[in-house]
Amino acid sequence: MTMFWTMLRIEGKLVWKGMDILIFGILFPMILAALFGYMLSKDASVGGASMFEVSYPALITIGVLATGVMGVPLTIADYRHRGILRRFQVTPVSPLHILLVQVVIQLSSALVSFIGVTAVYELLFDYEMKGSWGIFLLTYAFVICAMYSIGIFIGSVVPDQRSANLWSSLAYFTMLLFSGATIPYEIMPRFFQWFMNIFPLSHGIHLLKQVSIGGTAQSLFASFAVLVLCIVLGLGGAIKFFKWK
Amino acid sequence: MTLSVKNLSVRYGEKVAVRDLSFHVGKGEVFGLLGANGAGKSSSIAAILGMEKSEFKELSILGKSPIAERKKVFEKVGVQFQETNFQDRITVEEACIQWRALYKETQELEPLLISFGLQEKKKQLVKSLSGGEKQRLAVLLALLPNPELVFLDELTTGLDTKARRMLWKQLLKMKESGLSIVLTSHYMDEVEALCDRLLILREGQTVAGGTIQEIVGLSGKATLEEAYLHFAGEEEWG
Repeated sequence: MTMFWTMLRIEGKLVWKGMDILIFGILFPMILAALFGYMLSKDASVGGASMFEVSYPALITIGVLATGVMGVPLTIADYRHRGILRRFQVTPVSPLHILLVQVVIQLSSALVSFIGVTAVYELLFDYEMKGSWGIFLLTYAFVICAMYSIGIFIGSVVPDQRSANLWSSLAYFTMLLFSGATIPYEIMPRFFQWFMNIFPLSHGIHLLKQVSIGGTAQSLFASFAVLVLCIVLGLGGAIKFFKWK
Repeated sequence: MTLSVKNLSVRYGEKVAVRDLSFHVGKGEVFGLLGANGAGKSSSIAAILGMEKSEFKELSILGKSPIAERKKVFEKVGVQFQETNFQDRITVEEACIQWRALYKETQELEPLLISFGLQEKKKQLVKSLSGGEKQRLAVLLALLPNPELVFLDELTTGLDTKARRMLWKQLLKMKESGLSIVLTSHYMDEVEALCDRLLILREGQTVAGGTIQEIVGLSGKATLEEAYLHFAGEEEWG
């Protein structure tokens, strides 16, 4: 346990010394939250909820994306590329530990991001959760698991820094733009919504939205299944194909 | 036996990087693995540490398999790689504390920092250290778990004379108390100062092995340097 805490403390300091997380994971979604609060209509439109209301569950996934799909794989790939994982390979520590430490650090920033966005929505714009907070947070945790599984998978299998950059940027930006995290799903044309459904986060946001407005739209099960698949394939693949160098 | 290797071969596709390497290292013994660049020294060490796939009749470190019992073996084995990289924004002290946390038991950190001349640099970023200081830190970390066996790949490359002698002294002191060492080096003065027995590799094949006297005798040359060049096949370049 001391090993874990020491690793956490030192690796955490290293991650926070870089500004990436603060900017992309925390400030960016909070600024967007403030903008959306001013811009989006508060009139009921989407299944009885307003655009503003359904934007909240979307915005809180940006921090998850930035940390889980960008932060985790980039750090792991960087450590592998520079031979730092190779050094850990000849110590008693297991790769699982190193992964877990990075995941916990990134998660803590995602949590700060969640609190930040929630504070902006609640305090500045009187956001009101129509569904149950408990179920909502459970669903959020589930979506986080799925997104982190994707990130862990990318970090575990990419051969070098360049492909880590490529794949995590691809996953990050496509999901940031085309899963409803920033541009609302509801304003997209029908055929494009069909395309957006390819991305796992679209399903995560769909679940979160339904829970947050207390709705019971169909196809919740399909979305659930997509996310379970992400977790199983992502983590399974990461354990099977983890590369030290 | 601290380390025992029998008929170890490393293949990269069709190419055989190391062929039928066999040697053993006893407690408190310093073993030198020599050879020109690309002769297979680093591949051998990587295979012995279980980081590289290999075929072998026997491979045991402290009586255990470094592949099947990785965690147990590396509690008591230190490794310094040819090139050591650190996390981008880590300080000397953080690197040491993090390393210390990986093991169940370690040496005291402060005396090591003092004897490696790094206690004044504790708060500095590792990346701001000079090449020699970084190298010293890498050796320090290899010795930190108070290992029974340590692998040192190009121990003093990039160090000045004073730093090299200091490092030799430190290692000989730890050898006295039972530390076994496997090292690679391009400097014959270092080999003479430290090694009890040697093995010379040439294109992955073992071309000579034994004590320094035996190897010099075998070559029919006057000095270890000449004997090394003779066996390693480096003289053809000159």
